This record gives sequence, C-alpha cells and structure tokens, in this order.
Amino acid sequence: MMKTQQKAHKNTTKRFKNMATRAHSHDAKKPQFTDPAVQDVLSRITGLELQKVFRPIKRELKLPSYKLMTDEQLNQAINNASEQAKKLLQMPLVLPERKPIDDVLSEDPFLAGMDTAKYVFTDITYNVPHRLFKCFQKFGDVGERDRLVQVYFPKEGRKLTPYHIFKEENLKMVFSMDRHEDVLDLCLVQFEPDSSDYIKVHMSTYEDLDKHGKYDLLRSTRHFGGLAWYLVNARRVDGLIVDMLKRDLLQDAVSLVSLFHMVHPHSESAQEAALQQATGADLLKVRLGFPYNKSTYTIVFF
Amino acid sequence: MVHSSVLLKQYHGGYVVLRLALAGHNQANRPFYRIVAAFNKRARDGKYIEQLGTYDPLPNIYNEKLVSFNYDRIKYWYGCGAHPTKSVAKLLGLAGFFPLHPMTVTGAERHRAQAAQMDASIIKDEEEEQG
Repeated sequence: MMKTQQKAHKNTTKRFKNMATRAHSHDAKKPQFTDPAVQDVLSRITGLELQKVFRPIKRELKLPSYKLMTDEQLNQAINNASEQAKKLLQMPLVLPERKPIDDVLSEDPFLAGMDTAKYVFTDITYNVPHRLFKCFQKFGDVGERDRLVQVYFPKEGRKLTPYHIFKEENLKMVFSMDRHEDVLDLCLVQFEPDSSDYIKVHMSTYEDLDKHGKYDLLRSTRHFGGLAWYLVNARRVDGLIVDMLKRDLLQDAVSLVSLFHMVHPHSESAQEAALQQATGADLLKVRLGFPYNKSTYTIVFF
Repeated sequence: MVHSSVLLKQYHGGYVVLRLALAGHNQANRPFYRIVAAFNKRARDGKYIEQLGTYDPLPNIYNEKLVSFNYDRIKYWYGCGAHPTKSVAKLLGLAGFFPLHPMTVTGAERHRAQAAQMDASIIKDEEEEQG
C-alpha cells in the first residue's frame, strides 16, 4: 500500500536560530561554540602565520606586481594583509546534527497505484527559499533535501552527488597523503554545516589528526578552531597541549587549558585550578599533573 | 501593475491560463514542461506572461518526478482570475495547494484495476502453459 506523505521544511536561517536557542536553554551555563570568549580563545590558538595563509594556491596566472614603499607603507600593507588573513581564517560553524523533519501532512490510501515514481514539489518563491514538499515518499532523508535544494538553488562548487573522496577508503588514502586541509575545504563547500555527512567527515579527519599528532597541518587555517573545540568536547586535549609545548607555544597551551576548564568546570583539573587560583604556567602544571591517556612525558619547565 | 480580469477580457479578448508549456529543447522523446501564465489564445509553446514553475514528467535516477511551483506568483495570477488547466490543477492538488482533483482518484483506481487485470491474465497464461 503506497502512502502519500508530505513533508514541510522551514527556512534554514530560522532553523539555525531555533537550534541555537534550544541548545542554550538545555544547559545555560555550558559555553557554546559561538560564545565570544570561546571564539576569542580559539582564534588566538589558531595563530596568524601570514606565510601559510597566503601561500600560493592554484588560480589564474597573473604577473607579479612590484611596488616601491616606505617603511610606514610597508607596515600598513602588512596590517592590511593581517586583516584580510583574519577574514580568511573565519571559523566555519559547528552545529549539532540536523534532525529530518518527518511531518506526514496527509495519508491517502485511495491514491495508491497512481504512479510508479515519486513526486517532489519544491517551492521556488523568491523571498522564501529552500522549502520542499514531498509526495509519495516513505522515508525522507536530510541528504535528499540537500540534493533538491542544490537542483533549484544551486550553490557554486557543490555537486548533486557528493565527491567520491568522502567515502571511508578514499579518506584513509587522502589522510596518508597529509591533505586533511583540502578535504575539509571540500567538505565545507559540498555539505551544510549541520548535515550528518559534514559532521562524519570532520570527525574522521579530527580523529586521524589526533591519532598521528599532525596538529600543525591545520594551524593557521580556519579549521583549527573546529579541531580544538572537538578535542575539548571529547576531553582529549593532551596530545594537542604536548604538541604546542614542543613548539614553544606556551601562551597557546595556557589558553587551551583555560578553555578546557571553561567547558568542563566539573572536571578534576578544573576544580584543582579553581582551588589554587592558578594562572599561566601554573595552570599547565595543574593540568599535566593529572593522569592522561598518552604515555607519560617528562617536560622540563624553564 | 495589477492585471484585472475585466480589463484583460476587454483588451485581449481572452483570459489568462496557467498551463504546461513544452520547453523548446528541440529534442525528440524528452519532454520538459514549464508551468506558465499565458493568454488563452496564444500558442501552447509561444510567448507567455510569466513562468511559474517546472514539471519534469520523466523520473530521474532516484525515481522522482521533480515539480516546482512559485506559490506566491501563482496566488497572484489566481487572484487576477487565471484558470488552471486540468494537468496543472492535478499537480497543484497533489502538492496540497488546491484540493485534490477528482480525476486523480479516478485515475488511481483505473491504474489499480488495470494492474489487477494484468496480473490475472499473467496467472492465467502461466496456468495454461503448465496445464
């Protein structure tokens, strides 16, 4: 017996706002990704290596231009470059997974056998984009909705069927070639931030980076904040802290530990730190004093 | 500019119709329709006033027939006194914008009867072959 089901999907921006307020009401004390304090810490950890941000990427061939500048003008130019770099390093949103809206608007058994194919109705009103109704459809996926939105409101760079690179086996191969950044950029273009594919790809990338300790690949890119946030939420910051200390980034390590204490105020190290009122290097000592999952390191503090 | 049905009738001697117009791809055996507001007397594929959507009658690889409607503009033209054709009315009925067209139900029943008849005849043929 074929069912007629119709699904209504709301405007995307309204949905994001609703989700943010709902998450906030659940645990009002827990800091979210979009908090200004959290964002501040994450942007500081990301760093601002101009050489890496503006490294040559594949684009149209243009002759290089040479300018004669005074020292002041040079400083001005460097400031402008760092401003633009900050814009380029804007972190993409981290959102919880979107639930498929499965509103059955009407079930009409007397329409069974009408047609072998499903009908998909899209609303293409100018000021209300991304609205979809579906007919004769048993189970709708979020992925289907994304595909149909791409059909009627195409976004540059997106494909209707996702790239083969996002499959498990291919991801492993790409990670062995150290091209995590390219994968994440492609994922940003192809998927919506709250679709399950996006979250899956990001999770596997971050896991792989954590396993091999290749945090430096993402430093000074827009994905570093997301990586740090994921590790903080999974309570596996130790590898990242050790990596930072190895590269003599003491301030970054301190801010990372403070972020961890912000997000998990009930953990042991956070309570210890609150007791001792530790700041700076003392905070690090407090954190590293507790047992962590990697093999013990001996770190000498100067 | 508001199109009033009285003015339209006086000036153009016809009424506005919401119908399916074949999009001229000049390709045999591959139809694709545009849902269009046009004057009644114009050619089906000729000059129309406004395009209000699309309808692809052939199902794609996911077995879907894609239909799109610009509901805002359809409401406007319906308010100006446009008449939808049978196929457009059926599609809008399935979408939920209009109430269900009665011929949709009749069509479904006919399809089912035909399918049942086909099954019965197949079973009969198999029995004859065996016996």
